[in-house]
Amino acid sequence: MPKTKAILIDITKCIGCLSCEAACKQLRGFSQDPEPKLSPTAFTVVEEHGDRYVRRMCMNCQDPACASACLVGALKKTDLGPVTYDASKCIGCRYCLVACPFNVPRYQWSKLAPFVTKCDMCYARQAQGQPPACVEACPVQASIVGWRDEILEEAQRRILSDAKYVKHIYGSEEVGGTSVFYISDIPFEKLGFTKVEAQPMPVLTANALGDIPTVVMVGGGLLAGLYWITNRRKLVALAEAEEASAQSGSGKDPHHV
Amino acid sequence: MSNTRLPKLTFWRTIVAVIFLAGAYAAYARFALGFQASTNLVDSQPWGLWVGLGTLCGVGISAGGFAIAAAVYLLGFERYRPVVRAAVLLSFLGYLTVIVGMMYELGLPWRIWHPIVMWNRRSVLFEVSWCVMLYTTVLSLEFSPSLVEKIPWVRLRELYLKWHHHLLIALVLTGAILSSLHQSFLGGLYLLAKGKVDPLWYSSFLPTLFYLSAVPAGLAATIMAVYLCNRSLHARVDPRVLSEMSQIIAPMLYVYALLRGIDLVTHGGAAYLFRWREESLLFWFEIAMFVIVPVFLLSQSKVRNNPNALYGTCALVVMGFMANRLNVSITAFQASSGFYYVPKWTEFALTLATVTAAGVAFHYAVIYLEILPRGVPPKNWMTTHPATA
Repeated sequence: MPKTKAILIDITKCIGCLSCEAACKQLRGFSQDPEPKLSPTAFTVVEEHGDRYVRRMCMNCQDPACASACLVGALKKTDLGPVTYDASKCIGCRYCLVACPFNVPRYQWSKLAPFVTKCDMCYARQAQGQPPACVEACPVQASIVGWRDEILEEAQRRILSDAKYVKHIYGSEEVGGTSVFYISDIPFEKLGFTKVEAQPMPVLTANALGDIPTVVMVGGGLLAGLYWITNRRKLVALAEAEEASAQSGSGKDPHHV
Repeated sequence: MSNTRLPKLTFWRTIVAVIFLAGAYAAYARFALGFQASTNLVDSQPWGLWVGLGTLCGVGISAGGFAIAAAVYLLGFERYRPVVRAAVLLSFLGYLTVIVGMMYELGLPWRIWHPIVMWNRRSVLFEVSWCVMLYTTVLSLEFSPSLVEKIPWVRLRELYLKWHHHLLIALVLTGAILSSLHQSFLGGLYLLAKGKVDPLWYSSFLPTLFYLSAVPAGLAATIMAVYLCNRSLHARVDPRVLSEMSQIIAPMLYVYALLRGIDLVTHGGAAYLFRWREESLLFWFEIAMFVIVPVFLLSQSKVRNNPNALYGTCALVVMGFMANRLNVSITAFQASSGFYYVPKWTEFALTLATVTAAGVAFHYAVIYLEILPRGVPPKNWMTTHPATA
């Protein structure tokens, strides 16, 4: 994989000013009213957990469940890192919502032509070398952006240099790694983080899909073979019946039919 | 005079009319007002009754067509030949309901063709969509002689039927493989939802379990359909054929239950079996209806040989199967989603109207086409009209 971008969110630094939310909403053209949870008009929200602020957004997984689920390939892991959504392909099946281990994608339930909505780490801005709007807006650098390996090193440096940090970078190994990392001084499970496995989600379905050729070959071969046998039996029975009828002249011998 | 030309207002016609009216309003709500007005779906329960009942149950219950066609044409079970057309028609209509269901289930149904040109080979849903498209085509071809033989032009008719005869084996074989693939991949869809699906239903064997449960449910549904045709449409299928068919169901349910049991023990789901919670109760409800009671009833020759009792038992199998699919798609997500999803009445109405339309189509197909051996309304059943099947 080429070098990808990643965001580090340091929960110990966030002051809950909501500048990130406001910047995101402004960029996307949404109303500025703060919302408690992710929504079609809130791609990032700052949640309060006790006296800590946790900024939620799409994790932009390295091997995203949503992208493997999407039957038309509307969701895609870009080479730059963000997981993008091509609304022109989407058919509205909502399998991505079922698949996402972090429950991030939101659906426009109230619209007559509803689409899926989620943060794409400001792919358009990042492609032009600009930081994501939320990161740029953060006054205390609780969120920083950079190349994924360097960001990971920075996170590592911080949790090792200060004893207050939990010795885990959330996102470093979750579902095979993500493009958004969290470090914290409070255990992640107390901050509402989902416990997920280290294995990338698409592995779960890859095995089943890998069975297709076997099912086709073995199943097809077996059925064709069985058909050959039943057909041959039928032909033999027919020939025997004809033979019997030719011999006896009447063709009524039941033992040969 | 003109009054006598109107169709009679019977009980069942009234019911059907009410269902269609309700369905028409529900369709209006879905397309003119949107998901929010017509469903109780939310982001944490993005698939509800339309997927659970319309798609999962619709496809599963339609498994009878491929199973019986394969049994008759490939494996030489000649005695099921009288019901093969009914089984294929039932499946064909079943898949049509699924496709019609997609039109209101999808958020952007006018893009339903996208998977034909936009591919993602890593997606289970992509494979399902292709299998359903191809298999519905296969079913329409398998069913086509019933329509073609009504064409008044002899040459055209004979030509078509001749070609059809040559292709039939290939069609049935293709149909069996396509069915095996997508019946199991419907379960495969939920593999990705690991961590969200309750341990009583999550399993890496979900594809196999979906396949193994769809076939007996499809056979049971076929038995029910043929029984009803015998009863009210003067079809004359020997009840012994249905009784024999039912004998395959119990062993299939055994195998299914065995695999399910082994899986629950090895995957750790067994720990949840006897907890006092709604999920566990619904699990036992499902297992009782789908496996325990039918396996017991089907072991009784008194039940198998009594058409009414057999019908009731098959209805249990079908309902138990539906309980399983609804549990996988709705109950199993309740705890993780933190949302208690109860479908809105419009969700029920639209699915019910779609299925009813298929039922009405089946009814008239049996009357006007050669689907099942039929006789005129019997007056002296055994003496003047010996059974034809």
